[in-house]
Amino acid sequence: MRGDPMATKPTTQKPQAPGVHPRRLWSIQPVSDRQAGDAVVSNFILHWFPAKALKDSLAWRYSLWLGTISAALLLLLVLSGLPLLFLHVPSVERAYASVKDIEYVVTFGYWIRSVHRFAAHLMVAAVFLHLMRVFLTGAYKNGVGQNQHREWNWVLGVGMLLLTLLLSFTGYLLPWDQLAFWAVTVGTNIASAVPLVGPQIRELLLGGRAIDQPTLIRFYALHVIVLPGALGALFAYHMWRIRKDGGLASADHGTRLPTRADCSPSSTKTYTLLGVARGTGPTIRAFSTEAPNLTVNSIPDLTRRIAIVVLGTIAAVSILAVFVHSPLEEPANPLVTPNPAKAPWYFLWLQEIVTDTTIKLGSWTVNGALVGGVILPGLLIALLTAWPWLDKSPGAAAGRWFPQTRRTQNLVFLVLVLAVLALTLVGTFCRGPYWNFYWPWQSWPELPRRI
Amino acid sequence: MEKRTSAPFSRRDRWTLAGIGVALIISTVLFVRSDRAHDWRYYQYEFKNRVAAKFGAEKAASVPSGLQQIWAPELQRADRCITCHQAIHWKGFEQAEEPYRTHPERILRTHPVERYGCTSCHGGQGYAIDAPEAHGPIEHWEEPLLSSALGQEYSLVEKGALLQMNCNVCHRYERETKGADAINLAKRLVNEKGCRACHVINGRGGSIGPDLTFVGEKAPEQYDYSHLSGQKTAYAWHVAHLKEPRALVLDTVMPNFNFTTKEAQSLAMLVLSWRREPVPASFLAGAPRTDPQTPEEKEAERKMATGPGAWFVKTGCFVCHSISALGVKSPAQIGPDLSVAVEDVQSRFGRTIDDFLNAPTGTMSVVLSRQIILSSEEKAIAVQKLREAFAEYQKQKAAGTAAPLSH
Repeated sequence: MRGDPMATKPTTQKPQAPGVHPRRLWSIQPVSDRQAGDAVVSNFILHWFPAKALKDSLAWRYSLWLGTISAALLLLLVLSGLPLLFLHVPSVERAYASVKDIEYVVTFGYWIRSVHRFAAHLMVAAVFLHLMRVFLTGAYKNGVGQNQHREWNWVLGVGMLLLTLLLSFTGYLLPWDQLAFWAVTVGTNIASAVPLVGPQIRELLLGGRAIDQPTLIRFYALHVIVLPGALGALFAYHMWRIRKDGGLASADHGTRLPTRADCSPSSTKTYTLLGVARGTGPTIRAFSTEAPNLTVNSIPDLTRRIAIVVLGTIAAVSILAVFVHSPLEEPANPLVTPNPAKAPWYFLWLQEIVTDTTIKLGSWTVNGALVGGVILPGLLIALLTAWPWLDKSPGAAAGRWFPQTRRTQNLVFLVLVLAVLALTLVGTFCRGPYWNFYWPWQSWPELPRRI
Repeated sequence: MEKRTSAPFSRRDRWTLAGIGVALIISTVLFVRSDRAHDWRYYQYEFKNRVAAKFGAEKAASVPSGLQQIWAPELQRADRCITCHQAIHWKGFEQAEEPYRTHPERILRTHPVERYGCTSCHGGQGYAIDAPEAHGPIEHWEEPLLSSALGQEYSLVEKGALLQMNCNVCHRYERETKGADAINLAKRLVNEKGCRACHVINGRGGSIGPDLTFVGEKAPEQYDYSHLSGQKTAYAWHVAHLKEPRALVLDTVMPNFNFTTKEAQSLAMLVLSWRREPVPASFLAGAPRTDPQTPEEKEAERKMATGPGAWFVKTGCFVCHSISALGVKSPAQIGPDLSVAVEDVQSRFGRTIDDFLNAPTGTMSVVLSRQIILSSEEKAIAVQKLREAFAEYQKQKAAGTAAPLSH
C-alpha cells in the first residue's frame, strides 16, 4: 500500500475523484486523511461508519464496548447457528439424536454447539450489561445536537434485550432433552399466570396444551427466522439512530464549539454519485461543529478497535467452548420431572420470586406466578421503557459515569439490579431438590440411576 | 491537505490486535486438536498392527479406518461401538483382550449385528465414540453397558447375568429362553410364588399390588430410596425390596418370600426388563407375542374359581391362605390354612371366628381395612363358609383323605 503512487506523489498526480479508485481493498495504514476517508465511501461494509470519529467515543472506559461485544456475539451466533441449522432435525423423534450426533461425530460439532451456547448465554449478559451502562451514564438523554431522539434508541434497546431473552429461551427447547423440556415447562407455566388470557397465551406458545411437536416447530421457526430477523432489523435501526443522534452521548461534550468552525474549502472535496462525476465534481464549502483536534479517522482507528473487540470476543468464546462442553441430558420425558426443574438462569430470579411469593394463608393463596411472573417483570419492563421521559436530570448529565445530578436514580437502579442478581444467584446455586435451600458447598441428595 | 492526522491509539491498539490474533490461532489449535484426540484412533492403529502380525499386511489393509457405525434402521439405533471393537467378525482373536476380541459367533448367527446393532443387547450409549460415555455408567444416560464389571459392582452371584435383562425385552413372553438362565429362574419363580395373585403381569393377574407389565419403564426418580442404604439405583431398590419388602415400603402387604440373593437379583432383572420397547414384528417371528396360560394352569384356575372354595378365591382370601379342604391352593401361602380357622382362631386368640372377623388384630386388621373390605353380610358369609370348610376338613380327616394342611 505504501507503494501506491496516489499516496506517495500526491502533488504530481492529477486529482481524482475520491471514492472512485481501482483498489478493491482499503488500506489498513492510510497515508493521508483523504485515503482514510475514501475507505468509508468506497467500501460497502465500511460505509456505515462516519469518516471521522470523536476520540471520546472510542474510549475503552466510557462505553466498555459492551454494545460491540453484544453485536460480536450475535455475529458469532449467526455463524455458529448456520452449521447447526443443517444438522439439527426439529422433530420430536429425531431432535435429540441429531444433537447427540453433533456432540459426538460431527467434525468440530461439539465445539460449534458449545460456541453457540456460550455466545447465547454471554449475549444475554452482555446486552444486559450494555443496558446497565447506558442507564448509569444517562446515555439515553439528548445532549446538544439537533433533532436528537436518544430516548427512542433506548426503547429499541429494551426491545432488543427482550428479543435476546426470547431467542435464548426458544433455543433452549431445541435439543429436546430433559433440561429443554422442563425449562420450557417452567417458563410457559409462568406465562399462563397472565390474568384472563394466561392459558390462551400458553396454548398459543405451545401450539397445544402440552409441549410436543407443535411446540418444537414453533420454537424452531421463532428461533431461526422470526426472532433473528426482528433482532437484525432492530439492530440496523439501533445503529442508524446512533449516527442520527450524533454518536455516543459522551461525545456530545466534545462537539461543543463556541461557534461553528469554518473549514477551509479543499480542492479535492467533491461530491460523486456512484463515480459518475469522476474528477469533475463541484467544490463546496464545508462547516463542522466538531473541533478537528478531537477527532480521528474512523479508518483505521475505529475499525481497529472494532476488530479488537469482535475478534477478541470470538477468541474468548472459542477457547471457552473447547474446555466447557454443553450439557445434554436424558431425552425429554413428560412423565418424569427432574428435581429440581429450573428455568434458564436469566429467568431464575423470576422463578425465585414466584416461589417466594406463593404464600398460603389458610384458604387464601397468593398466586406467586402472577406476582413474580407477570406483574413484577411487566412493571419493570414498563418502567425501563418509560424511564427516559421520567428522568428529569439536566442534559449535561448525559454521557458521564455517575453524575451528581443522577445519583439517586442510579443508586435505586443499582439496588434493583443487585436484587435481581442476588435472586438469580440463589436460584442458580442454592436451590436443590424440591426447591430446598442448599449452600453451594452442601451436596444435594444423590441422584438415583436406573442400573 | 494530503496529510495524516496523528491518532493517539494506534500504537497500543496494534499490539492488542496482534495479541488477539495470537489468541485466535491458539483457539484454532485447541479446537482442532480436541476434535481429533480420541482413543479410537489408537485402537484402530493397534488392531491393524495385530491383524498385520497375524494375517499379513494385505489383510490389514482391508481393516477399515475412521469412524464406523452400524445403522439398524428397524431399531432406530446408530451404534458406533465397532469404531473401537473392530474384531467382532475377525476369527482368530477369541482370546484377545477388549476391544480387540472376536464376538462369540453362535449368538450372532441368530442375531446378526447388522440388523440388531450392539446396544439393543449390550446396553451402553451407541452414539458415543469414547469409552467413558459409551460404556457408562454416566450422568444423563440411563443405559450403561451391561458388563461383568457392572455385575461385579452389584455383587451379582452370576457376574455376567445383567446382559440377560436386554434379552428379555424381546423374549419376554417366552417361558424359557436359551442362554438366559437368570431370567428363566426368575420366570419360574413368578409362576411358583404366584406373583399374579396380586400383580398384573403381561396383562393378567390380581389388583392388590401395582401392575408390573411395564414396570421397567418407571424412572429411577420415581422410587422411594429413603429406606435404601447403598447404591441409589432402581435395580438395587428392586433387589432389596424383593428380599425384604417391608424394609423399603413400610406399610406394604407384600410378603417376604425369603428369596436367596441370586433369586432376588434375577427377579429384579426380570422386573426391569419389562419395558415398553417397540420391537418390530419381523424380529419376533416364531416367538410368542402374548403370555398365555398352559391348559393345565387354566384347568387348575377354573377348578379353584368354580369349586366349593370359589367364594374365597373371588374375595381374595386365597392370595395368602390355602383352604385345602375345599381345594383352594394359595400361591403365596403366607397365612395359615383356613380349613381349620374355626378351631385355630379360638386357640390362638381365645376368640370366636365371628368376633375376630368383626374386630381383627395384627396383619388381618390391615388387610381387612385396606385390601379386602367386607360388609357385615359378607362377614357373615365368611363365617358360614369357614364353618363349612372346617366341617369338610373333619369329614375328610375321618375318611383319611384330608390334604396336608399348608403352613
